[in-house]
Amino acid sequence: MTGGIALRAVLAALGIGIGLGMLYLVRRDRLHGSYAIWWVFVSAAVVAFGIFPGMIDWIGVRLGVAYPPILLVVVALLMLLVKMLTGDLDRTRQMRKLRYLAQRMAILEHEVRGDRR
Amino acid sequence: MNRTADTNLPRLAIVLPAYNEAGNIGAVLERLRACSSAEAIVVDDHSDDATAAIAREAGATVLSMPFRFGAWTATQTGLRYAYRHGYDLVVTMDADGQHDPAQIGTLMAPIVDGTAEVVIGACVARASGLRRFAWRYLRLLSGLEIVDLTSGFRAYSRRAIAVAASWAATSFDYQDLGLLLLMRRKRLRVVERDVTMSARLDGKSRVFSSWFAVAHYMAFSSILGASKRGRNLEEAGS
Repeated sequence: MTGGIALRAVLAALGIGIGLGMLYLVRRDRLHGSYAIWWVFVSAAVVAFGIFPGMIDWIGVRLGVAYPPILLVVVALLMLLVKMLTGDLDRTRQMRKLRYLAQRMAILEHEVRGDRR
Repeated sequence: MNRTADTNLPRLAIVLPAYNEAGNIGAVLERLRACSSAEAIVVDDHSDDATAAIAREAGATVLSMPFRFGAWTATQTGLRYAYRHGYDLVVTMDADGQHDPAQIGTLMAPIVDGTAEVVIGACVARASGLRRFAWRYLRLLSGLEIVDLTSGFRAYSRRAIAVAASWAATSFDYQDLGLLLLMRRKRLRVVERDVTMSARLDGKSRVFSSWFAVAHYMAFSSILGASKRGRNLEEAGS
């Protein structure tokens, strides 16, 4: 088994801290629920791998990875890329909606003001 | 084409996107009034100056954007307004005095006689060597056969207004490549007519304000042109 008790405790505390932080942000309406799901999942993964670092070796061996710790790095990078892409897709959708709303607002504001020539 | 009962002419609106054009908009609208009785729709792209007030004073319909979104979003706002209010034909032109209102008739003619849905006022003479190179590159990439890709002096038929005002066109940052590819996909006939253009009164392009802006435009347009080149044609309105 890899990782000392102190390191495990730090990683577990970090994971729990991230999870609690996310719940706090949801509670204060700073983070929308669906985004919080991702971050709570990340914090759960940090807690799990922090307390049981042997899981990485166990999974790596079964997947035939010669150096199992790199598996965690690769998976984390891939998940970050997916997160960034979905974030950009979401921003694109929102930008489109924002433009549409701004256009509607400009038109309706003019019509409500009733100063059409 | 729907026509007004009294004149048998299509209902025409002129859309002018404007950002900080207080120094020009009054004169542009005055020249416009001398050439056309069409409704002038000035879309104020959240200017810092008195563009909106001057335009309103000059008798234009003024739509004020709550934030600055850029020339295309402002133009599309005007097109949406025109579509909503039943206009048959829209001419878009810059608010900086570059486009001559006396040439609106030249742009309208192919739409009125039913030979085109979009007419681009082309002025190759205004382009620098670098701009011509960029046009050629983008033509090659997109497969479009339009010479003046970036001209904002255009006329749109009712069907073309519907496409330009659609949700699909909302995400474009510029009015050229993406929109023209969308028009092609909807099988709308796009033609060019030669027009003359004056130099900008302040001598500076709003869209190409810096080398970074040019690089962003080229990268954006390259991706757009390459990704949409092979899209299947659809019927207008689909």
